Amino acid sequence: MIDPFLHLVLFAAIGIGIVALAAFYSEPEDSQALPALPRRFAVFVVGCGVLALVVVIAEHTVASVR
Amino acid sequence: MAASTQSSGRGDARVAALLTWVIPGAGHVYLGAPLFGIVAFIVVTGLYLLGIRFSEGMAFEFLQPDLRSPIAPALTPEVGNLSAVIWHMRTYGFGPAFPRPWPAHIDLGTFLTACSGVLNACLACKAHFDARVPKGMRTTRPSPGLLVLAGWVVPGLGHWLQRRRLRAGIVFVVVAGFVVLGTLLADGANLDRERHFYYWSGQFLAGAPAWILELLHGHALVRAEIPYGDAGLAFAGVGGLLNILAWLDVYGVAERDGLAHLEPEAPPAREVTA
Repeated sequence: MIDPFLHLVLFAAIGIGIVALAAFYSEPEDSQALPALPRRFAVFVVGCGVLALVVVIAEHTVASVR
Repeated sequence: MAASTQSSGRGDARVAALLTWVIPGAGHVYLGAPLFGIVAFIVVTGLYLLGIRFSEGMAFEFLQPDLRSPIAPALTPEVGNLSAVIWHMRTYGFGPAFPRPWPAHIDLGTFLTACSGVLNACLACKAHFDARVPKGMRTTRPSPGLLVLAGWVVPGLGHWLQRRRLRAGIVFVVVAGFVVLGTLLADGANLDRERHFYYWSGQFLAGAPAWILELLHGHALVRAEIPYGDAGLAFAGVGGLLNILAWLDVYGVAERDGLAHLEPEAPPAREVTA
C-alpha cells in the first residue's frame, strides 16, 4: 500500500540533501551557496516532475506492456 | 589545463595520479619520492591482500549470476586499486560454477579490499597535489589527500579541518542522516554486501556511520517483507555517493590553499656574521 504523504516526505528529504551538497560543490563560499538553495530546490522539484511525467507518458505509450 | 597540471611542479599531476591508480605508490616514485611510494605500496597492497586472505578472494561471488561481467568490479570501491582488482578478477573471478559456503570472515575481508581501493584513491589525490608543488618547496597546509581521507572516514571532517564548520555540519547531517534513515527504512537489510552488492558499495563511501551500523547490525536475516526497503537502499546509497561531492569540494579548496602557502623544504643556512 503506497502512502503518498510518506513518499512526498521522503522525496523532499532526499531532494534537500542532494540539492544542498550539489550547491556546496558548485559554490566554494557558504554565503553564496546557502541563499541559492531555495531556487536550486525548486529547479530540482520541477525537473523531477518533468521526468516523472515523461516516464508516465512512456509507460502508457511506447513502453506499455499491454 | 596542461599548464595548471605541469607548471613548475615536480611532474605531470595527471601522470602521477594515473600511475598511483594503476600501481599504489608508483606516482610518488615518478615524482622522486621512492621511499614514500614503496611504503604506500606495501600499506595499500597489504590491506588488499589481507582482505583476500580473510575473504578467500570470494568478494565478487556475492554478485548474482546475471550481474557478473568482466567490468562488474568497475562499480566497486576496490576499483580505486586498479592493479589489485585486475589481479583479483584474473585469479579468483566469480569462483566455480557451483555454490559454496562463505568463509567465516568474508565480511571483514571484503571490507578491507574496499578500504584498499578508497585509500589508494586518496593516495592518488596526494600524488596529484604533490606533483604541483615546486621542487624544494612544501606546503604548510594539510595535504589534500589527507583531508579527503578524513572526509571519507567521518563525513564533514575534511571541511571541519579546513575550518569550514557550517559546511562540515551540513555534510555530516546529510550523509550520516541518509545512511541512518536508509537503514531504518530498510530494516538494516541495506548493510549486507552479499544481499545488495552495489548499494553496499555506495553506502561504504559514507564512512564510519555505515561501518558502525553494519558492525552493530551483524547481517541479520530478512524474515519478512520490508515495505520501504527499496527507499532505504536509495537513501543509504545516495548518502555515500553525495560524500564524493564533499570530497571534491574539500580537495579543490585544499589544493588551492596548499599551493598558496608554500615554504622551502629546508630553511636556508644563515650566514654567520662576525
